[in-house]
Order: sequence, then C-alpha cells, then structure tokens
Amino acid sequence: MPDVLIADDSEFMRNLLREILEEDHTIVGEVENGVEAVEVYKEETPDLVMMDIVMPIRDGIEATDEIKSSNPDANVIMCTSVGQEEKMKEAVKAGADGYITKPFQKPSVIEAIEDVVPS
Amino acid sequence: MNVDIQSLGTFNQLAHEGAQQATQSLAQMTGIDAVVDVTKITLLDRADVGDDLTGAEFVGVQFGFEGALEGETVLVFDRDSADTIADSLMPGASDDPAMAQSSVEEIGNIMMSGFIDGWADYLDSTIDHSPPEYIERSGADVLPDAPEPDEHQQVFVFKSEIEWVGESVNFYIYMLPEYDPLAEMMMEHGDTDGDAIPIDKLQTFNEMTTSGTQQAAGNVEMMTGIPTTAEVTEISFAPIEDVPKQIGTDTYVGTVVEFTGTPSGYLMVLFDEVSAVNVAEAMMPVEVEGDGVTDQHKAAIEELGNIMTSGFVDGWANVLQTSVDHTPPRLVHDMGRSIVDPLAAQVGQHQEHAFIINSTMRTDDIEFNAEIHALPNEKELREALEDLDVERADETDADVEQIFE
Repeated sequence: MPDVLIADDSEFMRNLLREILEEDHTIVGEVENGVEAVEVYKEETPDLVMMDIVMPIRDGIEATDEIKSSNPDANVIMCTSVGQEEKMKEAVKAGADGYITKPFQKPSVIEAIEDVVPS
Repeated sequence: MNVDIQSLGTFNQLAHEGAQQATQSLAQMTGIDAVVDVTKITLLDRADVGDDLTGAEFVGVQFGFEGALEGETVLVFDRDSADTIADSLMPGASDDPAMAQSSVEEIGNIMMSGFIDGWADYLDSTIDHSPPEYIERSGADVLPDAPEPDEHQQVFVFKSEIEWVGESVNFYIYMLPEYDPLAEMMMEHGDTDGDAIPIDKLQTFNEMTTSGTQQAAGNVEMMTGIPTTAEVTEISFAPIEDVPKQIGTDTYVGTVVEFTGTPSGYLMVLFDEVSAVNVAEAMMPVEVEGDGVTDQHKAAIEELGNIMTSGFVDGWANVLQTSVDHTPPRLVHDMGRSIVDPLAAQVGQHQEHAFIINSTMRTDDIEFNAEIHALPNEKELREALEDLDVERADETDADVEQIFE
C-alpha cells in the first residue's frame, strides 16, 4: 500500500481524506502547514503527499517546491479549493504532479492518485 | 463610460439627505421618531430589485419623475405601520379604508417631494414628478414595473432604510432611475480624470460575481448533497461607516479571509446559526453530539467557507489573468455588525466609501441561507476593472487538465 502524507490546515478535510484513503493507503502523517509538511516528508519519505495550497505559516506551493528540490522523485498532488489558472501554473512550476480541486468525491481522488502513483 | 468615486459619493449623499428630509417631514406630521439608518447605491439585476422585501405585505406610494433625472421612486411601509401613520395624522383614519389610503398618499407625497427636491437643487434643474399612486402589494411586487422573469438588465437603485426608533419597523425608499440618463448625469457631474470607475465594466464584474456565486453554490451542493441555488448578486456603494449596518444585528457563523492581489480586501461567508448547523450536519457522515453550534459544526463550516471563498474569487483571477491569494479562513461566530466592524475599519484607513459585493444562496430542502460579502479595496478594484477584458468575462474556469498535461 502506498504511504501518504496529508497536509491540510482543515481538520475536517484531513478527516475526509483519511476516510477516503485509509482503506488502500497507509497514512504516515497528517500536518497542518507547509513547514510541518516538509519536516514530516523528510522523516517519512512517503510515496505521495496530498498538499493543500492555502495553509498558515507556509503555503503548499512553497512546501512542494522544497520537497521537490530535496527529492525530484517525490510525488505531490495539490488538493486545494483554489481553482485559479495562475495558481495551477505556480503549482506546476513548483513540481506538483497532479491537482484536485475541492470539493471532490472519492473517485476523483483515487483517479488522480492512480495517475501519479500507479498501483 | 466612466464615473468617478466622488460623484458616486455625492449621489449617495443626495439620496441620504433626501431620505432624511422625508423622515423629518414624517416626524413633523405624525410625531413618529424615525432615523435614516443606511442609504446605498446598488448595481444589480432588475429582476432582483426588492428581493429583500419577500414575505411581507406593504403599502406605499409610487411616483414617476422626469426632467434632469428620469425614473420611478417608491416609499414603502409595512401594512401595520401604514395604519399607525394614518391614525397619527387623523385618529381613527385606519378604520376607514378611503381615509387611510388618502392619508398614506398625502404623507407619501410630502415625504417624497422633499426627497426629489434635493436632487433637483443639486442638479440646478427641475425634476417633475407625477401625482402619488397608492399601492398595496406583497413583497417585491410593491416596486414598479417588475420585469419578465427572463429579462435581465442591470440597474442602479438607490435604497434608504428608515428605522422607526424604538420599534422593530423599517420603511424603505427606493429610487429606480433610468440607467442611461443617470449614467450621463454622473459623467457630467464628475471629474473622471482621477479616480474614475468604468461602470460598464462594473456591470461585467457583477456578472462575473454571479458566476462566482453559482460556483460557490455548486460547491455547497457537492459537499452536502443538497441542491443549492445562487440568488441575488449585487454591488453596492456606501460610506464606509454604513457598511456594518448593512449586515445587520443577527448572529452569524462563518469565515473571514483577507484576499490579496488585484483586488485585495476581505471576504466573509456567513450562515445564520440554524443554517450553519443544518449545512454542517449535511456535510458530516456521523451524527453530531451536543446542542447548538458545536466545535464539529465549526470545523465543517470553516472548511466549507474556505471552499466557497475559492469558488467565489477564482473566477475573478481567471478572467483577470492574475492570482488572488487569500489567508486561511478565520472562523467567526458573532453579531453581523461585530464581524464586519473591524474589517470596515481596516478598509476605511484608505477610503471614505466602499464597494460591497453581496451574494446570497439558499436551498428549499432544509432551512439554509448563506451570504457572501466582499469588501474590496476601492483603488485596487478600480485598477482591476481597468484591466478587465470584457471579452474574457465568461472565462471564469481554469482548465486543470490542460495545465497539467
């Protein structure tokens, strides 16, 4: 089962993602901001990071940039409510491998993960 | 067609002073102590004018006016207030329908003459009005010439809300000028070199905001499974100190974010307490323990507010080909005015008047009403409108797949 790190400042959204993923994935951590995301990523090196964009302290695009700089093979899917073209381009530039806009349903999450981390 | 902020402010002030004059006339004739609570200019779809009157019976007087300015104006009282006013003028008048109607017509005539005269004086011209026409109708039907349901046309409306001191009763004055003469008059009386707002683009921006509201309503529907409809979307303009009054004194649960970019400002997603509980529980797979608004409800509302905020502002960013960032949502649970007060104070450091973007949405399945209020920095909104390419107005959605190819 792929290891997944969930980075989202919303407890509600972390719970929702955990419920969607825990059947077929191992959740190695849940963090609330970009700084913690980078720290836990470096400790756990999960197969995948589900990364929110709008988070306190450090946003998800900056965190993605640092994770990808330290490990170009890292897999990061932006999982965000932000549906702006410019933001998506920034996410691509930071190295994001996929992009899911909230609100989402389970099939779209699973499909996005399959695209990035095929089972 | 450009209109400067100063002239919008002046016209708002004219409407406010006219309403004060009308209110003084009311006080002199009846002894009723009333104050003008708020006056605002609103740009909205003609079909949505008076939507906030839904569910009540009204009595009023309507006038057509022409000259330097053309259009219709209406003074509206709720049914019981009209009877009280009639009895104040002539004891027992409310028992005689003909006398009651005549009383309302006469006081309406006097009040509204004062309202219109101020405009004529300012314009150094004459504005003639027709004799008062007595009206007695429900909700928005009390307003003149309701359009066909599928007829969409944006109009400027001046609305003054008059509060009867010590009573939970409000009166309303609506002034619905014809768009073109008003726009021409605004241009003539403004200095459009400095802080001009292109009002045609303001209309386009309002349409983009309608699209954002529909997106936010769609997000609610997807998260709750409850069909949700975007209702009124409007842009109003008022003195900064009047902004909190527009949100009222009801208690709300919701989120506040600060957005940065062009434009910057604040955005609130607000639910009344019953709606907050209902929508939060519809989002959660498990039953919530505890009464009222619990921490679980708040967590759900916080995330919903976040998603609705993005749905609302993303379209602006995509059309303007820029990015609009926002802070993580801050949960609020307070009286409406108390939520808005500090935000208006922040915005008021840089401007005397504010544009307020208001949207509402509702669902028929459960008791649910949500309001979105945006308070943009006026200078940056102006810059955004200048940059707005009207041809791109319908390009509010980004194509994720194309970008990630």
